[in-house]
Amino acid sequence: MSVTNYPVKSPVFPGNDRLPSRPVVAILAGVLFTLPMASEAQEEDAGVYDLAALGNVPEAFNMDSSIPEVLTTTRLRQPKSRVPGTTTIITGDMIRDLGIMKLVEVFRLVPGMTVNAVGSNQPVTSYHGTVHYEQRRLQVLVDGRTSYRPNLSDMDWNSMPVPLDLIERIEISRGPNSAAYGINAFLGTINIITRPPEDTAGIELRGISGSRGYGRAFGSVGDTSETYKWRLAYEKRKSDGFDEQEDDGVIYPFHDGYDINTFNYDSNIALNNNYDLDLRAGVVDGVDEEDSRKNGKFGANEHPDIIVDDYYLQTRLNVTTSERHFYHVQASFQNYDRRQRWTVCIPQDQFIDILDPDVPTPDLRPCTPEDANPFLANLNEDIEESRLELEIQDTILFNPDLKLVSGLGYRKDTYRSETFFNGRGNNYQSRVFGNLEYSPFRWLTLNSGGNWEKTTTTDEGYFSPRLAANFILSNNHTLRFVYSRAVRTPDAFEQNPDWSYRPRNVAPPFDFLEGERVLVENLVDPTTSTFGKELEEERITSREISYFGQYYLDSSTLSLEVRYFNDQLRDMISGIINEEQWTIDNNVALDQEGFEVEASVDFPGTSLRVSYAYLDQDGRYTGADDRDAGDKQYAIDLLGRLSVRHSGSFAWIQDLPFDLTSSAAFYFADEFRRSHFERADFRLARRVFASGYSYELALTMQHYLDRDPTLSPDNTIKDHNQFFVEAGVRF
Amino acid sequence: MNTTENPNIAAKTGSLVASWRLVILALFLIVTPISNPVAAQPTEGSLVYLAGSENSALNRRMLSLLQEALGSRTIIRTFSPGQTSQDSTTPVIALGPSAFTRVRQENRNVPILALLVEQSFIDGYVEQAGGSVSGILYNPPLIRQAITGKVILPQATRVAMLAHPDKVESYEPTIERLPEYGMEGKIFVVASDGELIPTLIRALNYGDFILAAPDSSIYNPRTIKHILLTAYRRNRIVIGPSQAYVKAGSLASTYTPLTEIAELAAEYIQDYRVKGRFPPPAYPEAFGIEVNKQVARSLNIPLPDRKDIITSVQEQLRETGEVADE
Repeated sequence: MSVTNYPVKSPVFPGNDRLPSRPVVAILAGVLFTLPMASEAQEEDAGVYDLAALGNVPEAFNMDSSIPEVLTTTRLRQPKSRVPGTTTIITGDMIRDLGIMKLVEVFRLVPGMTVNAVGSNQPVTSYHGTVHYEQRRLQVLVDGRTSYRPNLSDMDWNSMPVPLDLIERIEISRGPNSAAYGINAFLGTINIITRPPEDTAGIELRGISGSRGYGRAFGSVGDTSETYKWRLAYEKRKSDGFDEQEDDGVIYPFHDGYDINTFNYDSNIALNNNYDLDLRAGVVDGVDEEDSRKNGKFGANEHPDIIVDDYYLQTRLNVTTSERHFYHVQASFQNYDRRQRWTVCIPQDQFIDILDPDVPTPDLRPCTPEDANPFLANLNEDIEESRLELEIQDTILFNPDLKLVSGLGYRKDTYRSETFFNGRGNNYQSRVFGNLEYSPFRWLTLNSGGNWEKTTTTDEGYFSPRLAANFILSNNHTLRFVYSRAVRTPDAFEQNPDWSYRPRNVAPPFDFLEGERVLVENLVDPTTSTFGKELEEERITSREISYFGQYYLDSSTLSLEVRYFNDQLRDMISGIINEEQWTIDNNVALDQEGFEVEASVDFPGTSLRVSYAYLDQDGRYTGADDRDAGDKQYAIDLLGRLSVRHSGSFAWIQDLPFDLTSSAAFYFADEFRRSHFERADFRLARRVFASGYSYELALTMQHYLDRDPTLSPDNTIKDHNQFFVEAGVRF
Repeated sequence: MNTTENPNIAAKTGSLVASWRLVILALFLIVTPISNPVAAQPTEGSLVYLAGSENSALNRRMLSLLQEALGSRTIIRTFSPGQTSQDSTTPVIALGPSAFTRVRQENRNVPILALLVEQSFIDGYVEQAGGSVSGILYNPPLIRQAITGKVILPQATRVAMLAHPDKVESYEPTIERLPEYGMEGKIFVVASDGELIPTLIRALNYGDFILAAPDSSIYNPRTIKHILLTAYRRNRIVIGPSQAYVKAGSLASTYTPLTEIAELAAEYIQDYRVKGRFPPPAYPEAFGIEVNKQVARSLNIPLPDRKDIITSVQEQLRETGEVADE
């Protein structure tokens, strides 16, 4: 960033010689934002008077009005011209118009984000790639609640308590955002904002059925009054997952679907003019299938399906003390309960070899009916995690050109797992954050923000700053220069694993092993093991130059946002975590450079949107010199599994006669480890607005242009055309 | 209104009552039977009454503008209750529906020019009274508002309107004319207060913008914030219903400046003096526009200059031969 090099006295910028003697003007503007110009003062309309003198004139627009500007990046409401960083906004309407069927697939619309699946159809997404398993470098928020898993820090997209039909918008702050949200906002921030209950008053029902067992049923009911707005919503979503998997060149059926139910209650209670209270609660339950061939461990003889049983409670008190000062106090508690249990069966002869330390561990073969007295027991990877999060955020608008947001946060992460942690434990984080937005001139906005926090996972404190200068070249053109730093601390499992398996219900003759701990530390390859090694934080330094412009073309408007970035990622944790290998360490440095484009143009009846990202990633091994070149390269490669050089999307939404709307979308990523991802979606919908109700019927087709599995040979979809039918009604 | 609050005006008008009344009566008798160009010249010492609204600030402002528009030879007196029993021929300018009704109830024969009224209000009286009642309409014509929305959001093709059942009919002509301007529209009926938000949500699903008509049962200080925020959360803009609502957060509204109302009112009074009847109710052709730049910035909508919007709206109205005569 080079703010001082900018031609401050340049005559290009109107008003640049104007002194910031603005307090009086600003305060007046705070009362009425749209001050008429002096020459217009005489052009008043009777509407500004109240004919009956009964106070029947609406209040002037307040500075704290909840117009959905960019909320995420700094926690201030800011128009894009003042935001210190590139932010993509995907609206709920776009998600529905394009016929997107899964939440995670929304992120293919975001420049620089890639989406894929690992294991038994576990969705993963990232901005600027890095690893495919253990997605731990994005902050994900749902209505202000941190929503990644507290101690494994992973994202479970299948069980997110967010029905697609309730999404108002998703803001993706692209680039490090620890200055506002602390650790984990390392590569970016996803903020999912659901519709406020007052916007969904009435009844809505929707049902979708499609290929590969896809099904979604949604219903919501709500009402709104002066003091109480509420909504109850239910969504069931299910899928059979991929069609088949490959193992040693042989094709097998794949048990990788899910069947999830979510219930949500959202409400807002107006206590008086200055106080209102948000109350939210939700329950998620269901089954996330895991295939024994893929995720079965130690001779599993059944599928180790995961039983999901989550809930959350959230409350937020919003206080407006004046038009220029407001704050909120928020508390949320989330509980993630996963039960994953399976039986193992190991032939007796093999198990005796396993027990003998002098005999190498054999490759396990499945039990057959002929195997007498095998080792038969139950194992589990049950884990219950919870997160208690408290936050106070205060916003002061000194005037329209000087705004300060600041706050305190506290988090307690709790884990309970016999397998992963040998019991229960906690981690604590506390933080202080703030951002000052200052516009000394009409053509310049400065943002300065930072977050200091301390976490018990490393027992250290970290400061993550961000500085930005936005040059508003004219009303519709903004050039940004952003410098930011962020950290990601290792999560509880990376840092303090106490991983073991305790066989239960062990059948004779091995029942003497009942409840005995089998330590993973002793199972992993000792030659490469880093088990128990203390990890340090990952660090990123990011530089961004971006442009945001809007143009009126002939009967259309064009928005264009271009981002150039140059990021240095240091002490990146790379390696393998499983029961055979534990090799993670701060051992890779990455340099990422590239550019991203997001553009949309709206003609009458036609919306076009395009996104493109170019990412150049260079990695080098920086860890201890105790590995061969192949292992070093492998550590580097692991941090590139979701990093693709070219990715993007194109979307076209077209209004047609007879109440029809069509859409076409094309998504590509070039390329993942095995192949390109290329898919075209088409949707035709008829939306009828009758008196008192509206209904919609739609047909969506997903066409996979590239039929090869992208990341893993198991990502197999046999029919490259997938179909979905949909019907919805709203009263 | 109480213009006697202004001692200057009171002094000026009080001493001249009797003589001016005779002059007006004489003039009226002379000019009524025939159309005489000579008689169209301003007559020295004309008189009009002004029946004010309950807002004294508005009354003062209108008085000042009317004085300017009518010229120094016209005397404006405050309308007093009961005066029509003595003088039922001098035109009365009424500010707003309440003032109009007050005068009208007192004497159905007195000529009244209503200012600051809606077409739906005045049309019935005009039919009954012929040329002795007319009005200068002040609410922005809906078609002009719709075109304004299109100029600000050129890609817009669908216009959604909210309406109570008894207003639907009056909005239909606007809906029918939207295709001339490359738009189509739909009216969403709000049968009860409880249906407002569910209906609004459906309207937002349909329309590229909400065209807010001046219907206080839907758009009022109690509902407007909710309507606007719901619309904005769905990236939909709201045009209208009036300048005051732009200050409340609506994106834009055209409006009729009071100066234009006063000037057209002066023309109507002049016409009445000459022809003995008022022209039909009409909107002043000139209009202004109020835009909320803060809202536009928040919604990332690049706003053209106000002058450009007005020019563009006027061009489109001219192209279709439309005069703001809704």
